[in-house]
Amino acid sequence: MPEFGVSTEPRPKRVDELIDSELMAKLDQVDVMSRKIFAGKLQGERRSKRRGVSVEFADYRHYVHGDDLRFVDWNVYARLDRLFLKMFLEEEDLSLLIAIDASASMDWGNPNKFVFARRLAMALGYIGLVNHNRVTLYAFSREGVQPLPNLRGRRRTREMGTWLLDLESGDESAFNDAMRHVALSRQGKGVMVILSDFMFKESYEKGLRYLAGGGYDTFCLQILSPEEIDPGKHGLAGDLRLTDIEDEDTAEVTISAALLKRYKENLDAYCGRLRDFCVRRAISHLTIDTATDLTTLLLDYLRKRGLLK
Amino acid sequence: MSWLSVPAGLILAAVVIPPLILLYFLKLRRRAQPIACTLLWKRSVEDLRANAPFQRLRPSILLLLQLLALILLALAIMQPQIQAGQRTTGKTVILIDNSASMTASDIEGEGTRLDEAKRRAKDRIETLYDRGLFSSSAGQTMVIAFSDRAEVYCRFTDSKGQLLGAIDRIQPTHGESRITEALTLARAYTTNPDPESDRPVGDPATLELFSDGRIADLDEQVLRGETMLYHPIGSPQADNVAVTVISIERPYDRPTAVEVFASLANFNTKPVTSDVQLSVDGVVRAIEEITIGPAQIDASTAALVAQRRNVVFTPFEQPRGVVIEVASLRDDDLAADNAARLVVPPAKRLTVALVAPKSFLLRTALEGIGSIQRMEVLTAIRYETLAEQGAIDQYDVIVFDDYAPEAGMMPPGRYLTLGSTPPLEGLNEFGRGEGQLILDVTDNHPVFRFVNLEQLYISRFHLLQPADDVQVLAEGSRGPAIVAVSRGQMQAICVTFDPLDSNWPFLRSFVTFIVNAVEYLGHAGEAISATSFAPGEALTTRLPVAAERIDLHLPDGGTQRLDPLDPALFSWGPIRLSGIYALTWSVPGSDQKHSRAFAVNLLSDREGDIRPVERILAKEEDVYVAGAGATQYTPLWPWAIGLCLAVIMLEWWIYHRKAYI
Repeated sequence: MPEFGVSTEPRPKRVDELIDSELMAKLDQVDVMSRKIFAGKLQGERRSKRRGVSVEFADYRHYVHGDDLRFVDWNVYARLDRLFLKMFLEEEDLSLLIAIDASASMDWGNPNKFVFARRLAMALGYIGLVNHNRVTLYAFSREGVQPLPNLRGRRRTREMGTWLLDLESGDESAFNDAMRHVALSRQGKGVMVILSDFMFKESYEKGLRYLAGGGYDTFCLQILSPEEIDPGKHGLAGDLRLTDIEDEDTAEVTISAALLKRYKENLDAYCGRLRDFCVRRAISHLTIDTATDLTTLLLDYLRKRGLLK
Repeated sequence: MSWLSVPAGLILAAVVIPPLILLYFLKLRRRAQPIACTLLWKRSVEDLRANAPFQRLRPSILLLLQLLALILLALAIMQPQIQAGQRTTGKTVILIDNSASMTASDIEGEGTRLDEAKRRAKDRIETLYDRGLFSSSAGQTMVIAFSDRAEVYCRFTDSKGQLLGAIDRIQPTHGESRITEALTLARAYTTNPDPESDRPVGDPATLELFSDGRIADLDEQVLRGETMLYHPIGSPQADNVAVTVISIERPYDRPTAVEVFASLANFNTKPVTSDVQLSVDGVVRAIEEITIGPAQIDASTAALVAQRRNVVFTPFEQPRGVVIEVASLRDDDLAADNAARLVVPPAKRLTVALVAPKSFLLRTALEGIGSIQRMEVLTAIRYETLAEQGAIDQYDVIVFDDYAPEAGMMPPGRYLTLGSTPPLEGLNEFGRGEGQLILDVTDNHPVFRFVNLEQLYISRFHLLQPADDVQVLAEGSRGPAIVAVSRGQMQAICVTFDPLDSNWPFLRSFVTFIVNAVEYLGHAGEAISATSFAPGEALTTRLPVAAERIDLHLPDGGTQRLDPLDPALFSWGPIRLSGIYALTWSVPGSDQKHSRAFAVNLLSDREGDIRPVERILAKEEDVYVAGAGATQYTPLWPWAIGLCLAVIMLEWWIYHRKAYI
C-alpha cells in the first residue's frame, strides 16, 4: 500500500501530459454554457439578451432621445408616423474565469489534488479557447493572486498549458483576499469556475460573497482526494500525530471506527454547509473526487451540472 | 482447591500489573502523518485533551481484558489444582504389589499392607468411575498383581464390578517384588502396533502403583511415555527382624548328627532382643536369646544396612529325615520371614560297587568312607552279568577302576570312572596323552570341596573331546582331566587318567575327591531336598515313573491333586508362599503312601527391609509421581492458560474492530 496521501503518479512536465490529444478531440465538441446570455465586450459567437447589431430581429421599441438614428425603422414611421427603433439580437463573446487554489493543502492526495485541478483547468480553458471565449486564469495562495488574463483562440492553448505547468503550490491559502481581488478585477459578465478543496481555516463565506455579486455564473468545484473522503479505507490507522502541511498544525488522534465515523459525518456536514451556502447565492457546487476520470467528469458530470454543453 | 506455588504467581502479578496500568496513564507515542488539513480531524478527534505526560485513567475494555489476562497468567503460575478423582482420557493399569513385604501388618487397624492396597485400589476404581465435575470418561482399566511374577487379574474393561472382583481375588505371595514383568504385561495390553509401520499407536496408559516401593528392579525401568502414579502403602515405623540364612549339615565325622546354622538380620534402627527357637518336626529343641544391633543407614546410598547376628546350635543326633525350623519368636510386622525351615534327609548309608580294581588304592580309599554302609568288589564279568539282568540299581554308586564296559552295558545309575573312558555318548576319546598339569577347576562343584589339585601331575591320560553337554570339572594343560556327564537318571564323573599314572595317590586331595564324588553321586537324588526353595521358583523333584495319586499339601493347609505327564521329572510352580510343602504319592500294587517334604523359605534381604519408600524414581527419568494416598488432583493451570489466551484473542479482536471497522 502506498504511503498515505502521497501521490504515486509523476507530475506533468509537458502540456500534453496535462491534456492529451484524445481528450482535446472530445472537448472540441463541447462548449461552456451559461444560464444567462451575457453581454460581452467583443462580438462573439453566442446570442446575447442585449439588443444590438446583428441580422436577427428581436423587437421594436419607442425612440427616445439620444438613440442611434440608424436603427430607426423608417417604414414603420411612414405608416404610423411614429418613431420606432428596430432591435436586433446581438452575438457576444463569453468571459471564462478559472481560479485555481495553489495553496499547499492542494498539493496532497493520491491522485494529487493540485495536479487534478490543473488538468481540469486546462480542459476547461481549452474548451473556452476553442469556442473563442475570453479565458482568464488565476492561481491564488497566501502569496497573492497570479493571473493569466484574456486568452482567446485555440492557438493560445500552449501558452495556457505552459502557465499551468509552471504553477507551484504555495504555502497557506488566502481565499477571501484572493476572491476579493478576482471579483474586483473581473469585468463584464461570464462564467467563473473555482477549483479548490475549500479547506480553509479562516472560512470561505466572505470570499464567496464577493463572487456572488456581479453577472458571473459561478461554479465551485470542490476537489477532494480519496484519502480525504474515506481515510480508513486508504490505510490511515494507529496512533498518529496528524500534521497540517500548510501551517504545521498538529492533531493527535487514535484512529478508531468511532473516530472515522465522526470524521465522515464532519466532512459531509462541511461539504453540505458549503453547498447550502452556494445554493443560496446561485452558485453551483460540485464535490469531485480526484480519482474520478477527467473525461467522464467533463463530458458527463459537468454537462449535467450545466457548466458545459 | 489448593495452590502449589502461590509466591511465584504473586510476584508475577506484582511485577506486571502495575506497569500495565502505568502504560495506560502514559500517553501514546504517536507516529507523525502529514495531512492536507487538520480542520476536520480537530473537530472529530476525541482525545485531544491535555498535553500532560499522564492522562486520566478512563474505563477501557482493553485495559480490563489485559488485566484479566495477566491475572489468569498469575493464577496459572500459582498452579491451582482441585481434588478430583478423574483423569480425562486414557487407559489405566492398576498395579498391586503382592510380594512378601506387602504381607506386613504395620497398617492401622486390621489386615496387611496388601489388604490396605486392595482397599485403596478399590477406592480408586470407585473414584475413577464416579463422574465428577472435571472428569470425562475414565476409560478402561486393567488389574495386574506382581511379585516376582506378574499376573493379570482383569484385562482392560470399564466394568467396575469386574475390576473390584479382580482386586478382591488377589492373594498374597512371599515372592520378591519385581515390576519388569508387570510393566511388560501392561505394555503388551496397552500398546497396539501399527501393522504398517510396526510402531505403537495410541496413548500410553497411566500406571497406578500400589506398593510399599521396595521393588528390586525399579531403577532398571525406563518409562516409555507412561505416567505412573505411586500410592505408597505402609508405615515408616515398620518393625522387622528376619531369619535370612539357614543351613544344616551332617558333620563329616558324625553322619547321623545334624548341625544347624542360622543368621538373623535386624532391619530396625534400634537394637532388638529376640528368642531364636529351633524345632525338629514341630518339637522345640532349643531356644537361644540373642541381641542384634541397630541397622545402619549408608550415607552414600541412603540404603538400610541390616545388622546381622549368627546362631549356631550344638550338633545333635538325628539320623531320621526331619523338618528343622529356626524361628524368631519376637513379634514384628512381617511374619513371613520370622521362620526358616529345611527338610533334612535321613542319614543315608551308601552301597558301593567297585568294578575290576587294579590295585588296593581305590578299595582302601572307599573303605575309609564313613557314609558307605556296604562295598562290594565286582569283577568285570560279574558286573556285566548284573548289568544285563538289570540288577545294577541295587548299588548307589558304581566305581570303575580303569575299566570300560562294552557299549550299552551302562544302564542308568551313578558312576565314578577312573582311567579308561566309559562308553558314554559325548565322551569321544581320540588317543592318549602324556604329561599334563591341572590348569582350571570348577571350584564350586561339590566334588572339589577341600580339594586342591595344584600339586597334581599326570604322566599318562586319555585325550577326550567332550560334547557340549559334558561339563569339564577340571581342565588340564592338554585336555580335560575330570568331566561330569548327566543325562536323566544317568550320572557319571569321569577321571580321564588312572591315578596310578599320576602322583595323586600321594596327595591328600585324592582321598577327599573320592569321598566327595561318592557322596555327591550317592546322595544326588536326595540332595535337592536338603536345600530350600525360594518363593517364585518351581518345585522340582524326581518321583518313581509309576507314581500315581500324587498330592501336594500346601503350607496353608490346602491340597492339590496333581497329574504330571512325567513323574520322573516332577515340576510344580511357581511357589507362592513360604513354608513346608509335602508331596505324597503311591505306586501301583501297594497301598503304602510315600511322602517327600520341601521347605520354601523367604530368605530375602530386600523383602526384609519393609520400610515403605516415600518417593520412587525410575531409571534416568524423574517421572514417577509421588502420590498422596488415593487422592487424585486435577491441575487447573492449563485451563487458566487457555482462558488467558482466549482473553488475549478477544482483546486483539476488539482492538482491531475498534481500529478498522
